[in-house]
Amino acid sequence: MKAGAWLVLGGAVAGFLGVLGLHRPATSGALAQNPAQTGPGRTAAAAGPPGTATGSVVDYGYGELATRVAISGGRITGVSVPVLKTAEQFSRELADRAIPVLRHEVLAAQSAHIQAVSGATYTSEAYAQSVQAALDRAHFT
Amino acid sequence: MNQDGLVSHAEPVMGTVVSFALHPGGLPGPDLRAALRAACAVLRDADSVFSTWDPGSPLSLLRRGAPGSVPPPVMAEVEAACRQARDASGGWFDPWAMPGGYDPTGLVKGWAVDKALRTLDQAGIPAALVNGGGDLAAFGRPGPGRCWRAGIRHPWRASGLAAVIEVHGAVATSASYERGAHLVDPRTGRPGGQAASATVTGPSLAQADALATGLAVGGDAALEVISGLAGYQAYLIRPDGTESCTPGMEFARG
Repeated sequence: MKAGAWLVLGGAVAGFLGVLGLHRPATSGALAQNPAQTGPGRTAAAAGPPGTATGSVVDYGYGELATRVAISGGRITGVSVPVLKTAEQFSRELADRAIPVLRHEVLAAQSAHIQAVSGATYTSEAYAQSVQAALDRAHFT
Repeated sequence: MNQDGLVSHAEPVMGTVVSFALHPGGLPGPDLRAALRAACAVLRDADSVFSTWDPGSPLSLLRRGAPGSVPPPVMAEVEAACRQARDASGGWFDPWAMPGGYDPTGLVKGWAVDKALRTLDQAGIPAALVNGGGDLAAFGRPGPGRCWRAGIRHPWRASGLAAVIEVHGAVATSASYERGAHLVDPRTGRPGGQAASATVTGPSLAQADALATGLAVGGDAALEVISGLAGYQAYLIRPDGTESCTPGMEFARG
């Protein structure tokens, strides 16, 4: 892979931890607002199988995505992306490379003793926002 | 509330997601929610004044030199912070050297998060961390004997963070983003950058945000300048992957 391609990939990594990380959502009703309810232009993605929660479709400027999280025994055991629409092929390629990395980071974040990550990106923010909304719906604590 | 006893909230504003982690202490739920709403209102207000996307925002009007428009008082406050950052950075951060005229974008997000954080402090919240899309600031402690900790995103290593630091104040990171270079070299007015990742810590997020932008543009030369500033530290990852930091920069164990 060219150095340029690495930079493109690297740019898409991990900023979402700033939203997720140890930022697990409040229990149901503890806060009046969450991204699922207050964000612009959302429609709910299709419901997933039992034990999962699906986040809002988040428009991140260059496309839309929604995440689905699987929770078992109080831990996030999986994150998938049931909705990914991009306006053009370049954004699609960026998102395709970024999302597996972001998924890995969501799972890894549970054991990291950090509350935030410095440095962020468009794709990662949309991903985090949708994950956060999915967790809110699951009342994940 | 999560298992650490922290209350979290994510707010889409300023073209990013601003997330909150609050230690509620003994604050009643309604007071906590009111504080959070007030902090989010501060961010939305800042967005409405300083939006470069909205052609009707006071900043857009100022940039166009629209006749008869009277800028709100916060415009002067941000301008003063920009002058301070321009001087402190040795000119590596310069909102007046941007194409299209004065553009304080590199400082405004940090300035707004600082202000939101002060709102939470004044509301009696004992500890909080606010992360404005990767530029963050905190006060207090997340728990007894604990410190707020932040990871610094590695510019290209997918599997991990570049570093972990304890947060005492503000942390801002600027980098070559996924959309390519968004940085402008104030000396040439053209896109430029000498860093894969540029992090600055210090007491003010407005200043740290601006200095991180300057560090990303100026690389080692800007690092040298920041090493002379009281209260501020910097951590630079160069485009070739080599790293450098100011002598007082402290890293935590991952």
